[in-house]
Amino acid sequence: MGSAHSVPAEMRELADRTGFTSEQIEHLHRRFKQLSQDQLTIRKENFDSIPDLEFNPIRGKIVHAFFDKRNLRQESDGLADEINFEDFLTIMSYFRPIEMNMDEEQLDRFRKEKLKFLFHMYDSDHDGKITLQEYRNVVEELLSGNPHLEKESARSIADGAMMEAASICVGQMGPDQVYEGITFEDFLKMWQGIDIETKMHVRFLNVDTIAHCY
Amino acid sequence: MFLLLPFDSLVVNLLGISITVLFTLLLVFIIVPAIFGVSFGIRKVYMKTLLKIFQWATLRIERGAKEKNHPLYKPYVNGIIAKDPTSLEEEIKEIRRSGSGKALDAPEFELSDIFYFCRKGIETIMDDEVTKRFSAEELESWNLLSRTNYNFQYISLRLTVLWGLGVLIRYCFLLPLRIALAFTGISLLVTGTTVVGYLPNGRCKDFLSKHVHLMCYRICVRALTAIITYHDRENRPRNGGICVANHTSPIDVIILASDGYYAMVGQIHGGLMGVIQRAMVKACPHVWFERSEVRDRHLVARRLTEHVQDKSKLPILIFPEGTCINNTSVMMFKKGSFEIGATVYPVAIKYDPQFGDAFWNSSKYGMVTYLLRMMTSWAIVCSVWYLPPMTRQPEEDAVQFANRVKSAIARQGGLVDLLWDGGLKREKVKDAFKEEQQKLYSKMIVGSHEDRSRS
Repeated sequence: MGSAHSVPAEMRELADRTGFTSEQIEHLHRRFKQLSQDQLTIRKENFDSIPDLEFNPIRGKIVHAFFDKRNLRQESDGLADEINFEDFLTIMSYFRPIEMNMDEEQLDRFRKEKLKFLFHMYDSDHDGKITLQEYRNVVEELLSGNPHLEKESARSIADGAMMEAASICVGQMGPDQVYEGITFEDFLKMWQGIDIETKMHVRFLNVDTIAHCY
Repeated sequence: MFLLLPFDSLVVNLLGISITVLFTLLLVFIIVPAIFGVSFGIRKVYMKTLLKIFQWATLRIERGAKEKNHPLYKPYVNGIIAKDPTSLEEEIKEIRRSGSGKALDAPEFELSDIFYFCRKGIETIMDDEVTKRFSAEELESWNLLSRTNYNFQYISLRLTVLWGLGVLIRYCFLLPLRIALAFTGISLLVTGTTVVGYLPNGRCKDFLSKHVHLMCYRICVRALTAIITYHDRENRPRNGGICVANHTSPIDVIILASDGYYAMVGQIHGGLMGVIQRAMVKACPHVWFERSEVRDRHLVARRLTEHVQDKSKLPILIFPEGTCINNTSVMMFKKGSFEIGATVYPVAIKYDPQFGDAFWNSSKYGMVTYLLRMMTSWAIVCSVWYLPPMTRQPEEDAVQFANRVKSAIARQGGLVDLLWDGGLKREKVKDAFKEEQQKLYSKMIVGSHEDRSRS
């Protein structure tokens, strides 16, 4: 495959943009080739070849997130049909670890990006709000592993959680006030205190950061 | 046997001479420097020579493999990413605990729960069992130990000869030398500390006991041919503090104690270990617990606190992970030592796997087998970083403090910071177990929900 081994200049550009090191990019590239079966792009069907993913209840949402144009930082909206390696890296970059030399502003931006990724997972109709129905969808999917669970239970759990969310974001609501949905600002409020930026990342085993002892 | 008679006296003479020479060399080059803490630099030269040989060996393998057209098997033993098989409950509790200060005993669905599954999903996408096999690219350097190389069959004659020579040197020359040194070191420790124990308490006794300990640890370090680089020595632990380090093998104790004065903490064993422990405590106060006392956390905490508050006693050395980890990650620290309220001096220890794998997998090897493996490796090369002291801030609890220290150690040593409790067995997550996890999650949420609606 001609473009299999990235030219160093391209690699450096990718590294700068996504924040991965060249070794990590090489690993991911190999993984990409495996998933795409040596094609240049990946489609949704390619994710079926990962057996461990089957057991994840929100499998659908995760795969969907890869093709979501909002995550791919493209101006248009909606879903892409296929993604190339650069897009793959862009999605993966939401999960890279924080660096030690980041200042407050960078950390804050980093955190917002990660939370935006999660927000998009909830907000499936791309309208910028998580409505009660969307929330219910997520809860149902998460609890779908249990076949004995009644749909009603899942629904009532979601409703309870949504009310709780409303009370955090809006405070006490009047009896005829309708809570439209969780906006991104409210979402941020709810995640306050949880230092997601130190937990929402995948850790590469860096064989070359072995301290050089000599 | 009668055939040997004519050569008898000659053989005996030669044997006698060689043993004497050996012991003189031993004394001059190893034990005397150990006593005074100087180094001739022999080990560094040894290390550099070894590295050159390893590089040559690796090139030969690659060339040989290319000629024969075999793919090289480069084992990514841990995959390309670190997955921590934390239990579902643990991790969700941890996330929730660090978030809103809500009571943990009323778990219902929270926005943050999705995070666990999301991350697990991304991890599987990045790396599952399939990636753990082949890599057609360059091999890591081979260190002439067949136990660390899977491409062994593809090498040339020259390499086999070299490997054979290596085996000979390691087993017939280095091993007896090291065993002799270890024996000397341990017996000196036992006798030295017992002798010092008879002195009346005072500055003289303290001074002598420190130096006896130090000297014997240094001899043991040479017994293992451990080449250690210490960084930031100005942060070394002081009296009244607790020294905390990540744990890879029992050798960690020797490595740290040969560069500073520590009081050890541990359970009293029987046999040789017990003899050593009882002798050591005569010279200076270490904290040894009987087996029954170990489980009583309050007793343990009280004794440690007493020790720490006495400024004349040496800093305590503790390994909070509780078990040996394979030196690529740092597991959850047990919070006991962080509740005491003393200054914590974190230390990061990182071994260089090129020269020998120092990790003790206690389920695979017993102590004796492990020590034999260590003594038949080429050398043990490691780096020790002394990190600046940390104290518990008023608004954190012991667990948060422990995690903060753990992150600092992990970051310095280039290790992965994991939430996983080192006490869990490291099995592959079976399929049925994964399904159970999902069911468990729903049970967790639904169960409490039903409880609440019932009440």
